[in-house]
Amino acid sequence: MSKKQIILGAQFPGVNNFTVWSDPAAGSQIEFSSFRHFAESVERGKFDFIFLAEGLRVREQKGRFHELDVVGRPNTLAILTALASITRHVGLIGTLTTTFNEPYPLARQLATLDILSGGRAGWNVVTSPGAFTGANFRRGDHLPFRERYERARDFLETARSVWRGGDFYASSPHFDIAGRTGWGPLPQGAPVIAQAGDSDDGRELAAGHADLIYSRHGTLEEGQTFHADVKQRLAKYGRSRDALKILPGANFVLGETLEDALEKQKAIRLQQVSPKNAIVFLEQVWNRDLTAYDPDGPLPDVDPDVAVEQLAQGRAARYDNRLETARAWREVAEREKLSIRELIIKVTARKQFVGTPAQVAEEIDRYVQADAADGFVFAPHLTPGGFDEFVEKVIPILQERKVFRQDYAASTLRGNLGLPEAWQPVAKAV
Amino acid sequence: MTQTSNFLLGLGLHAGAHGDDPDWRGFWGGLVGRLDGVAEFLTLEDRFADPGQDGLDAILLANWLAPRSRQIGIIAGAPLNFVEPFHVSTAIATLDYVSEGRAGLLAQRLGWQRSAEAGRAIGALNGFPAIEQPSLDSDALAAIEVVRRLWDSWEDHAVIRDVASQRYVDGEKLHYIDFQNADFRVLGPSITPRPPQGQPAVAVSWTADADLALARAADVVFVPAAGDLAGMAAKLRGDGPGKEPKLIADLHVGPDGWDASDLAAAIRTSAAQGARGVRLILPDPHRQIADVVDTLVPALRADVLADPPLGGHLRSRFSLPAVRNRYAAAA
Repeated sequence: MSKKQIILGAQFPGVNNFTVWSDPAAGSQIEFSSFRHFAESVERGKFDFIFLAEGLRVREQKGRFHELDVVGRPNTLAILTALASITRHVGLIGTLTTTFNEPYPLARQLATLDILSGGRAGWNVVTSPGAFTGANFRRGDHLPFRERYERARDFLETARSVWRGGDFYASSPHFDIAGRTGWGPLPQGAPVIAQAGDSDDGRELAAGHADLIYSRHGTLEEGQTFHADVKQRLAKYGRSRDALKILPGANFVLGETLEDALEKQKAIRLQQVSPKNAIVFLEQVWNRDLTAYDPDGPLPDVDPDVAVEQLAQGRAARYDNRLETARAWREVAEREKLSIRELIIKVTARKQFVGTPAQVAEEIDRYVQADAADGFVFAPHLTPGGFDEFVEKVIPILQERKVFRQDYAASTLRGNLGLPEAWQPVAKAV
Repeated sequence: MTQTSNFLLGLGLHAGAHGDDPDWRGFWGGLVGRLDGVAEFLTLEDRFADPGQDGLDAILLANWLAPRSRQIGIIAGAPLNFVEPFHVSTAIATLDYVSEGRAGLLAQRLGWQRSAEAGRAIGALNGFPAIEQPSLDSDALAAIEVVRRLWDSWEDHAVIRDVASQRYVDGEKLHYIDFQNADFRVLGPSITPRPPQGQPAVAVSWTADADLALARAADVVFVPAAGDLAGMAAKLRGDGPGKEPKLIADLHVGPDGWDASDLAAAIRTSAAQGARGVRLILPDPHRQIADVVDTLVPALRADVLADPPLGGHLRSRFSLPAVRNRYAAAA
């Protein structure tokens, strides 16, 4: 039996501390030449798609703009459409919120991307925190938190009616719209839909509506559990197990030897978690000003402040139970004798594949064949050349193992992902 | 015969459906290849919510055309009353990065019927204007103000990459724009650093009886060539010491051919009345573009237009003054 084929996504290094800017090899985060370099590299590596995250407000810490990490990004749809112009095969997936967009304008823009890319558009459907991000948009904080998935689901159904071309119409609690477009069927029928929500609601939304899940479950066991849970939800929507691909986010570090790679990893983690950044991370849990503390010293002996509003704004990671998180972190720090910075390096680590190119390729393959994932969305730590070595050294090994394409087989993103070439409506859950 | 020096020649097209030809990429790729280095600029009108004519999003199309061209200015349309100013601002800033300073925004005011259709296409929403003239007028002005402030919300050189202080950005160089009117509020700053031109050129199409405030808010104003250009310029200038309006005369190129000497005469008249350039509007570019590029433009160049395209930043081609960032501390 032939082996399961690996799906690979390439995330453009974005606005967070994983993107290392202090390295001499770190280039511009905004010049088009950086995006061109990145796109050409991953297309040479036959990646399935380029992936962009979203952030619609500059992050803040203690009421000031957060200065320590990369910040500043292009408009997601605009840069993806520009990249469509200089690439031929690689998919283009943007993260776009259903909270501060409306179905007709956004669906029309995604249709534009699908048409101009010849069927390579994808949409990672997310919802946004209300008041903070809403301050930049006409409607402001318009949506009760509990309705965000309901709106997302309605939004997707409405978008599909726009994508069909011709007359569109929606009359639902969230949308009451009508009109007529001037395009026929889109190259892919509908853009590829990705979803990242991890809650029960998020998993159901994905099982019913998505083609991809961008997941956080990076370890083998967690990945297998998540994979099994989501795949078993598909049947009630009348979908096959192959209709939804699960792709955890991951990082990689390559070296001449394992020891060399581990050394590099350590150096990169120190760049990613600068002394000041370690304090900022700690402040997210402690929710108090900790600038007086030594990053190379022990954790604060005071408890988190749970009484006041959150100090950090605009970040994806939230710590809902601060006292519990603080207790757990203290335990780890005491047990392993870690300073603040060492602790933050440990607790903010993501799934990383570390080793020689052969070791990294083998490990990726092992995860996929064991159904811990159908592939990965990798984020390198450097812009724009972060994938160059991976493309040169890891991809050929995956190809030799016959688990990754030698060349693109289809003209659309759907086709290359092994999904049906055009989207087919699925039955509602019964 | 006198030629008009530094007189700009542009083309006006729309991003909507063009006939039944489904080959959008072939059409637009071929078109920009022909126009680059021939015309100074291209305007792309967005056919948002135009029933059956509705096609590509014009700003996204512009971003697709930019990497395929080297010289042509690309002025992309957006119906500001019906979209988010924040998204428009970042998308045009991105166009300015992708095109390396060739971006402009065509601030579109839809006609009455189209406004009603656009309103139905997005639904009745808080924060968007009511479909009535005064609301639409004041909202368009507000949207332009927001788009422009967001372009200034990052000072040049806000990104410092200072290893010693562990800071990537200087937070003092990012600014809230804190725009607020009766209908909506935008706080800022932008997520996109200040674009290469600082302020990409903002253009509007205008007639003498249309919204004067909107035209005054623009950098470049497209007006009918047959109108009283000198009178319109005076109206735009007003009493104050305001900026000198940059008028571009619109000439419609009929679908069934043209008389190059008539068009040249019209251009000469427009130039004499103070127009900075001319925009040729093509109703049927599929059929017209080859002839326009191969025959009409060379004829006009030989007769009335002295110079090939200038190139460089689009603002400078319109002789727009250098812009100071409103949020930057005075040096």
